[in-house]
Amino acid sequence: MTSLRRDFLKFGAFGLASAGVTGGSLVLTAGEAAAQSAADSLLPKVIDRGKVLVGTGSTNAPWHFEDDAGELVGMDITMGRILAKALFDDETKVEFVLQDPAQRIPNVNTGKVDIVCQFMTMSGQRAQLVNFSRPYYVEGVALISRPGNEIKSYDDLLTIGSKARVSILQNVGAEEAVHEALPEAEVMQLDTQANVLQAVDSRRADAAVVDLSTVRWLVAKNPDRYFDSGKQWRSMLYGAAMKQGDLDWLTFVNTAFTIAMFGHETTLYDAAFKTFFGLEPPTRTPGFPTI
Amino acid sequence: MLEQIVYAIPFLFGGLWVTLVVSALTVGISLVAGVLLGCALIYGALPLRLLVRLFSDTIRGIPILVLLFFVYYGFPAIGIDFDAFWAAVTALTLFKTAQVIEYLRGAVQSIPRGQTEAGMAIGLTFAERLRYVIFPQALRRFLPPWINGVTDAVKGSALVSLLGVTDLMHSINQVIGRTYEALPLYILGAFIYFVINYSLSALSRRLERRFSFMQA
Repeated sequence: MTSLRRDFLKFGAFGLASAGVTGGSLVLTAGEAAAQSAADSLLPKVIDRGKVLVGTGSTNAPWHFEDDAGELVGMDITMGRILAKALFDDETKVEFVLQDPAQRIPNVNTGKVDIVCQFMTMSGQRAQLVNFSRPYYVEGVALISRPGNEIKSYDDLLTIGSKARVSILQNVGAEEAVHEALPEAEVMQLDTQANVLQAVDSRRADAAVVDLSTVRWLVAKNPDRYFDSGKQWRSMLYGAAMKQGDLDWLTFVNTAFTIAMFGHETTLYDAAFKTFFGLEPPTRTPGFPTI
Repeated sequence: MLEQIVYAIPFLFGGLWVTLVVSALTVGISLVAGVLLGCALIYGALPLRLLVRLFSDTIRGIPILVLLFFVYYGFPAIGIDFDAFWAAVTALTLFKTAQVIEYLRGAVQSIPRGQTEAGMAIGLTFAERLRYVIFPQALRRFLPPWINGVTDAVKGSALVSLLGVTDLMHSINQVIGRTYEALPLYILGAFIYFVINYSLSALSRRLERRFSFMQA
């Protein structure tokens, strides 16, 4: 037993020594490691290319818009930068491909972009067409009106019943979304978020149903022009979309997002969360993983 | 409102340039291709005429929006993978070419047959008849619908923003997306498009006057 044990130890010592030699030569670079992922995975291709192609928009603050300097900024843009940082340790190695919201699924499925970060609501129907990353924001909808309107609060709108006119972005289930909060309201579906708000500005609608983040952004920036009617409902998860059938890429993106939201590199996410939503990110406490 | 318009102007130059380039490429390429294919439709051999007729009728029968998405998403399947800009230019050019074919056919066929016969009687070759007899007279009839089509091309170029190309309309939407002030920007956009198209219409009238001596 002893000899066996000794032999075993001898083998172990030899094994460790040889492992040290061979292991040294087996240390892989990031590129080589990525090359070991599935042959048709996007991960090695993106790394070889040296930049990640992120499909997004440029016309919806605070998600994706150009600031006064003409720079593309917003929460979606930050998620693209977080991905570039995880891929190349350089948040600038990202190319944002501008696209219409209607192009989100076609562009990712035809390979025009590697990933889409464009305020995309995760839904069962969409999940049959694309893979979603972990959610990076929980959006809601809210009512926005004008401070000078006679009818402006949620209670006012509820009181006038079918006389309430409410604008909302054209979308599947838009009518139902309004009627959940205002069952009798007349619904006006419009093509862009700007036109949804224009309907309120031009008094074609008493209030608009827009994303909660947009209400916060607008009321904070223009308190004399917009009024938070005081009603929020419907939680929606926003996630990034990728082509189906690429587990390595999906796992990489999820890992990058999780680290940026809960791990040791939360600077980019936290700064964006504060800038674009006016909210303090929650404190992360070491110990039990709450993610 | 004036303040918002003044604020927006510097952000629109890039988009305006793209609109002008897309329009110029569409109009230029479709003019050359449309005239060549139009001649083929009028004077070509039967198979060629049928092919051009099929092209023209098919393209004119498809909404331009569908054509735009078809070129962008459908062409890669046959190995032609344009970026968004060139896909948009290709789709708009295909559509405009089909129209130019018909403008040319209408203009040439409206010249009385006696003009061709007179040219033949004095011994002009086919190319000479076209150059000295038919085309100079057809030009005056071709110009008004063609320039009308050019203004349509400028306005139609706004569709390229649906592929994410930042043209004038998309630049306007970018500023609106930041400020959520839609109306002043729409007024500004309408004014810029009007200035471009009114200039083209004025040019059209001058050209028509210039070629009026060629009245058949």
